[in-house]
Amino acid sequence: MIALLIANSLALASLLIMLSSGLALIYGLRDVINFGHGALYMLGAYLGYSIALIGGFWVALVASPILLALLGVAFEYLVLRPLRGRSHIEVALVTLGLGIILGQALIFVYGGEARGVDAPRALAGSVQVFGLSYPLYRIFLIGMGLGSCGLLALWLRFSTSGLYVRAVSQDPSVARMMGVNSDRLSLLVTSLSAAFAGVAGVLAGPYLSVDPGMDVTMIVNCLIIVVIGGTGSIAGAIVAALLFGFVQVAGSVLLPDLAAIAPYVLLMAVLLIAPRGIGRGRVLS
Amino acid sequence: MGARGGLLTASRAVTGRRPLVVILAVLLFALGALAPAHLVSEFVLRLGVEGLLLGMLALSVAFLMRQAGLVALGAASIYGGVGYLFAITMSEWDLSPTAALFAAFVIVIVYAAVLGALIVRTNPLAFMMLTLAAGEMVSHGVMLEGLRDYTSGADGLVVNFQGAIFGLQAADFASAPRFWPIAWSAAWVLGLAVYATGRSRFGAILRAVRENEERMRFSGFGTYLPRLIAFVFVNGVAAVAGLLHVLNSQFVSPESLGLSVSTNALVASLIGGAAGSIGPIAGGLFFAFAQDEFGAHGFTQLLTGVAIVVFIVLFPRGIVGGLIEAARRRTYLAPRRGEAP
Repeated sequence: MIALLIANSLALASLLIMLSSGLALIYGLRDVINFGHGALYMLGAYLGYSIALIGGFWVALVASPILLALLGVAFEYLVLRPLRGRSHIEVALVTLGLGIILGQALIFVYGGEARGVDAPRALAGSVQVFGLSYPLYRIFLIGMGLGSCGLLALWLRFSTSGLYVRAVSQDPSVARMMGVNSDRLSLLVTSLSAAFAGVAGVLAGPYLSVDPGMDVTMIVNCLIIVVIGGTGSIAGAIVAALLFGFVQVAGSVLLPDLAAIAPYVLLMAVLLIAPRGIGRGRVLS
Repeated sequence: MGARGGLLTASRAVTGRRPLVVILAVLLFALGALAPAHLVSEFVLRLGVEGLLLGMLALSVAFLMRQAGLVALGAASIYGGVGYLFAITMSEWDLSPTAALFAAFVIVIVYAAVLGALIVRTNPLAFMMLTLAAGEMVSHGVMLEGLRDYTSGADGLVVNFQGAIFGLQAADFASAPRFWPIAWSAAWVLGLAVYATGRSRFGAILRAVRENEERMRFSGFGTYLPRLIAFVFVNGVAAVAGLLHVLNSQFVSPESLGLSVSTNALVASLIGGAAGSIGPIAGGLFFAFAQDEFGAHGFTQLLTGVAIVVFIVLFPRGIVGGLIEAARRRTYLAPRRGEAP
């Protein structure tokens, strides 16, 4: 029972980690919370759905993130750079507006009803782990989530560009004085974060469903995670995503009547105890 | 000496014009309250009422955005939530409609104070995220299975009330021609209240905290309490708009709590311009009519998204703000005290 609970919350947390670490990365570099991130995830999911119909799941898992990364490049050049001089709140509102436009465009193209996506044949069954039967696809999902999070950590920790990203996140002006080109980094980070949203979208298809409300649900969840984790802290976001996944899954099993508001209770509790979140986020106004 | 003389004549010129402005305002108020019911169709009037209600909600969003630099994305939870409370306090506590109005208002104010105490200390971006989360919490809250007996879940609640509120019956509130003057007067009262608050010492403190919180703390001002009071104040404005909405539509549903209502209010204040009181209300009216035009094709939300982007990027002052700016440039009027240039 407990093992199943933990496995399920890990599966949910995997998706949340991919999305909220993308949010935290952009915030670290640009001080902007991308309110359109949920719509990117939704685009990734619908693209994944369409591509999977033609070329199968594995093609979708590669193609959708690549297309999203290209969109991330466009987002950097057409939105973030021209609006560099504007207040962060205004840029955040613009991303909110763009997210609404993207979400509505998807509803216009795909219609309002939910779509189901089948897991690929290789991952369709269940396996026995520690004496309990568990869907193979969810294990794959957990592997992808933890794997990408591990790769991200390795990149940030051991590569030169990762070092620069950490430097800008910690203190933008000093990093720039030391000759770090934050624009070039931002291009990298924005496309990476959009690609992560694409991966999460494709992976979400067989696990959740592909439906018109998925963008708002996901962005709200991710924002809660980013706040709980300490705005801009990637390690904090990962811990918060795990915590969030557990609260959500445990809530739906133990208190099904109140499960829908369990994440908000968690948020309020964290705000009461540690208003800055659990990670070491950069506190900026 | 010359500069002093110039100042004196300028101030005299302004005071000299004040009675004229007041007379014009009174005329406009009376004309706006009485004329539309005779001039336009009931359908147009109904849209106008919707626009005024949205405008009042936009007023609350705009005040917080302009004076405190905080963008709230949870206005709908107050707007719709107070309607739910009105219905529930009447049916569960057997309150008279008037008492239920007050009870719902007080509960919302207490909720806003508790929520505000938790979230106004955060930075503006986190504030925006937290208000969005709090709004979603409320809209998920009414859908809870355990509250189904009170909120009827996704179906929404029909709000029947017996007896008079301030001498008016349910039918009066539901009729667009009779409700228009009420909404019009309320928009004026709230608009003036918001304008006066913005021009007061309190407004100046809020703007100073927005500009540089640290410096205000060094100067010996509390920065937490003013923002908390502002948060409770704007939620009071949103609650009045929500109560008028429920009296008029006599129905509340989870949609009235949703993010789209909050973003519509945000858009209305951006379209009109968040600086004064006229902008948000005009923006609400503009949005209601534009929504009627686009909504028929199912593009309401698309309109919202496009309007947010276009107005922030290209017309950050909004329509009313832009017009005032243009008029000022033409007449060489100095920016008024307390306004950002």
